[in-house]
Amino acid sequence: MTMAVRVFLVLALVVAGFFAPRILGGSPAVYSACVLIAIFAVMAYGLDMIVSDVGEVSLGQSLFFAAGAYTTALLSTGPKLGPIPAFCGSMAAAVVIAALLGLVTLRLREFVFSLVTYAVVVVAVTFAQNWSFLGGSDGLGGIPPFQLSFATLSFTARNDKELWPVAYLLVLVAIYLVHAFRRSRLGQAALMVHLNPRLATMSGINPQRTRLSVFMFSAPITAAAGWLYAYQRAYVSADVLEVYFLILMLTAVVLFGRGWLLGPLAGVSLILVQEKFLSFGGDVDKIILGGVLIVTLTLLPRGLAGALQPISTLAEAALYRFGNRMPKRS
Amino acid sequence: MNLSQQFINGLVLGHAYALIAVGWTVLLGIARLVNFAHGQIYMLCAFVAWYVTSRLGLPYLISFPAAMLMGIAVGYVMQRVLLLLTLKQDLVSIMIATLGFGYVLQGTAALVFGSTGQIFETPLSRAEVYFENVWFTYQDIAIITATIVLFTVLRYTIKRTHVGRLTRMVAEDPHLAQLAGIDVRKVYLAVFAFEGAAVAVAAVLVAPRTPILTSMGFEEVIVTFVVVVLGGIGSILGSYVAGLALGLFTAFFGALVAPAYTTAAAFAVLIAVLVLRPGGFAARAGEH
Repeated sequence: MTMAVRVFLVLALVVAGFFAPRILGGSPAVYSACVLIAIFAVMAYGLDMIVSDVGEVSLGQSLFFAAGAYTTALLSTGPKLGPIPAFCGSMAAAVVIAALLGLVTLRLREFVFSLVTYAVVVVAVTFAQNWSFLGGSDGLGGIPPFQLSFATLSFTARNDKELWPVAYLLVLVAIYLVHAFRRSRLGQAALMVHLNPRLATMSGINPQRTRLSVFMFSAPITAAAGWLYAYQRAYVSADVLEVYFLILMLTAVVLFGRGWLLGPLAGVSLILVQEKFLSFGGDVDKIILGGVLIVTLTLLPRGLAGALQPISTLAEAALYRFGNRMPKRS
Repeated sequence: MNLSQQFINGLVLGHAYALIAVGWTVLLGIARLVNFAHGQIYMLCAFVAWYVTSRLGLPYLISFPAAMLMGIAVGYVMQRVLLLLTLKQDLVSIMIATLGFGYVLQGTAALVFGSTGQIFETPLSRAEVYFENVWFTYQDIAIITATIVLFTVLRYTIKRTHVGRLTRMVAEDPHLAQLAGIDVRKVYLAVFAFEGAAVAVAAVLVAPRTPILTSMGFEEVIVTFVVVVLGGIGSILGSYVAGLALGLFTAFFGALVAPAYTTAAAFAVLIAVLVLRPGGFAARAGEH
């Protein structure tokens, strides 16, 4: 594929994605599902970098989601700040927490790292439920609608349909950031540390610094999802730290195969479509989500995309034959 | 402030923590595996025991085999499903998959037992003892006795018996053990089944102390983390000491400082230890 065709295809996909809710009927339920898909996909992209590139399982990622949501709630209800300052505040909060957590867990590996990050979430839940300035167990309500104004132009999102452009833009930015990260020096260093830490060290990469940097880069992405989630729900409580979000993120990351750029978005879409339109009640949905996670990991180690690979290879071979060309050696 | 009462509370709590963690300690020590569904297996076994005694009206003693059967079944099925990942030592996938298992168990338990809290009362938990100015129940005595017996038997089994030697070989080097003719899969399956059985015993003994909820697995598991990591990964004696220390710490912190933040404080201790000594207290390799 030439560069021009690629750019055209990507642009076509971006435009089609924007009109997806309208194509799917344009009802409030569809817009609401699409906004949530976008938000949760952004949340999952943050974790995707840690799981797919660094190869560690951070179970503390929902902490950054909560940091974004709570910072936004506090800044927009207390000092009545708008979405942009709230966004900056969320980013700052996430980076600070990520730096602290990253420094503490710098020397920890594998399951000890996972245990500690998981424990941080459990502790955060007790703080969120007990600290009155975080709303205690009632949470923080009364978050104003998403409203931006520049001089004479103003944009207000009172419902999910009006919030959709913001959510869509956010997910595009997140995808672009992950794409750019994977091509960057840091992304390549992270992958090298993951695949062969000794080789990485020998080629002058500091594994601990790389891990910490990726951690601090991924946290604001997840926090941005929390920022928008606060506006979408107009209410934030300790629920944002529920284990559901963690399982949702992890399933979304592995479902279509780790490392595929659109994987988390596709994964979140599939899960939320089931939960919003084909739900069997909360408890059965839990069993389905957990079951999907188990089946993916045990039966489809390369994810759904990996399982479909033989079909796409066949199709490619057929195409080549049709064009009377030799198939490429793999 | 009744310090002797807090000491008793801490002692009971500590033994309870150690008992809940023992299955995972063995799992870590021998299979080098983690199981994030540990808390949910505890929850499920507690509900099975509650169901057997309060809904079916059977004696408390019957709830032990019932809960253990459930624990063994869950442990066996989990490891059966994860066997390929275990043999590949794909720790990242195993961790995520066990989280998925926990979520499935929680959904199933809520479906079967409802999501309201229940009180699991036993004849032992109703029998109270007042001695001078301290108070405890026969349930507390049972917890302490069972923990000490279980830890002693386990330590003896792993150090002195044939089964213990086999499992130690697998822990040391699974590939070499396989070459030496040990069926590594069977050892892994047995270890997971043991974990299920041990956490079932813990659930039947410890769950009567607090109301039980289908969502409690999430928080229950954190105590196990702290005990297992502080005790030095996989060390049996270490996790007993760590459990005891954590129990006393929790009791005194809850009484003297703030009960709402005891989990947070226990966790702060864990962080401090991990930063200072990443291997935990008992960091000698091969120590059980």
